[in-house]
Amino acid sequence: MKLVGIAGSIADQSYNRTLLNFIAKHFEGLVEIEVLNINDVPMFSQDDDQTNSDVIQNLSKKISAADGVIIATPEHNHSVPAALKNVIEWLSYEIHPFDGKPVMIVGDSYHTQGSSRAQLHLRQILEAPGVNAIVLPGNEFLLGKVKEAFDENGDLKDQGTVDFLQTTLQNFIKFAKVINLISKTNDYDDEDLSAKTGTDTTIQGIDMNDDNWLDLAAQKVNAVEGKTYVKLDSGLLTVDQLNYFLKTMPVELTYVDENNQFLYYNKAVSPEKMLAKRVPAQVGDSLDKVHPKIDRVIEHVKQVINSLRTGKTDLVSMAVPGKDETKHHIMHYYKAMHDEDGDYKGVNEWAVDIKPIVDQYLQATGQKLVKDPEAKIDATSGASKKSAPEEIKVDATSSASKH
Amino acid sequence: MNKFIAIVGSNSSKSTNRELLKYMQRHFKSQAEIELVEIKGLPIFKKSANKYVPQTARNIAKKIEAADGVIIATPEYDHSIPAVLSSALAWLSYGIHPFVDKPVMITGASYGSLGSSRAQAQLRQILDSPELKARIMPSSEFLLGHSLQAFDDNDNLKDIEITEQLNGLFKDFLQFVNISKQLNNANVVNKQQAEQFLWDKD
Repeated sequence: MKLVGIAGSIADQSYNRTLLNFIAKHFEGLVEIEVLNINDVPMFSQDDDQTNSDVIQNLSKKISAADGVIIATPEHNHSVPAALKNVIEWLSYEIHPFDGKPVMIVGDSYHTQGSSRAQLHLRQILEAPGVNAIVLPGNEFLLGKVKEAFDENGDLKDQGTVDFLQTTLQNFIKFAKVINLISKTNDYDDEDLSAKTGTDTTIQGIDMNDDNWLDLAAQKVNAVEGKTYVKLDSGLLTVDQLNYFLKTMPVELTYVDENNQFLYYNKAVSPEKMLAKRVPAQVGDSLDKVHPKIDRVIEHVKQVINSLRTGKTDLVSMAVPGKDETKHHIMHYYKAMHDEDGDYKGVNEWAVDIKPIVDQYLQATGQKLVKDPEAKIDATSGASKKSAPEEIKVDATSSASKH
Repeated sequence: MNKFIAIVGSNSSKSTNRELLKYMQRHFKSQAEIELVEIKGLPIFKKSANKYVPQTARNIAKKIEAADGVIIATPEYDHSIPAVLSSALAWLSYGIHPFVDKPVMITGASYGSLGSSRAQAQLRQILDSPELKARIMPSSEFLLGHSLQAFDDNDNLKDIEITEQLNGLFKDFLQFVNISKQLNNANVVNKQQAEQFLWDKD
């Protein structure tokens, strides 16, 4: 399980940050915790919407991708520090990464109270409809007299306190698992397959679903072709050479950008011979145009893309039946692409028949396949269930991959 | 005549809380002098080794010190007061203590029907903290719901019942301010305690 920790302080020195760092270090075997920094978040103002700034987007992404959040709050004026409230305001205005997210509150203070009042305010704040976090009930962890609580290595001195912290953390882990199961179903609903939003590389002014999109769009951006050189990060090829190269890949490649627009496939064979059929008129289409309008299919496509976009998984693989299983075993793979900054850039999809590879291997090593009498899966259609990540329930007969 | 400082609890250029305070300023001008104070531009509260407080906050503190009372109008963001107001109150209790025993009237406006009720409840607790120690008018609540529709073309409150409630509360506040002036026996000790409050590490 992956958690993020937020210390509700921008002070140069903070015992709450020390506490979070201790939790991250001490319970390393139990859970993975990344402590986030809220230092450079600008003051919330409706007049100056900075939702799209790097610092806020980064916090939002980390929270979205995490299985849960631990907030450590100091107490200022009987309440949470303005700096912490400020972050929550940004993250409940135009974007809502806390929505449905399990949250655990801890806090410490100089005196006996241990941030008791701040924690109650924080519960009310996180409960607000714009935030909509799901806060672990009970399990209050209030660390009073914090000045004496840590040793010089930043470790909690009192074993009783450490034990209690471990109990609350274990309770939170169980809680987060249950909450994530409940909220999971809707994660992918916002995935826009009509590609309306656009991105910085989307070619404007051309209908993406036009059958001649490729020519029209290429003209619009003065795209190079033929013998013109293109410099790649580790090579230099002409556009022709790139085409020769891609067309002879032993897999069928498809490029879908982060805006869910189908931009390219390596047209190696005629559409009828392809493992996953593509036709030139589809190039440029939004993803909802290249999939059959069946709710179940659309839902699967959204699930796959969303799990790649949010980083829940980096690769989705599934078997796609349809051809004679004794001669073919066709696999579809969906791999997330990222830029240098780690931002999601789309899906690299490839389809490949692995049966010839397996056959070749068996022949070369003098082996043969026999049925496993203990196998629990239906060999003809169930293999996909094993290779797909748990949260993506692939229905092999109407698979998401059938474009 | 009493002089009050009215704090606009929002940094938004379109704030119905500012509108409410401007209305009060006009509407009660025969009873008190009300000066609006903006908190926009104050940095987010941050502790430092030398207890630095921005000059804008010091200027606001001086105005509050000199005033007979403070009126705060707060919006509600996420069930609580905006970070910008929370930040201003933290600055105004960090080594400076203008709020100690200062009579405070809490008001608030919201677009929805609740009129910032939860934010006001939290604001009471905040103003009650040992480092602020304000004297909040008890048993009084002014919640202006549906604030976008609350004012007419001349920026006056449309609803007669709400206007009467505000008139009554303001009258009470004037009396509360007068009574408070006599409740000053513990003022010296209260100031000392606020000053001794330890704003140590977070």
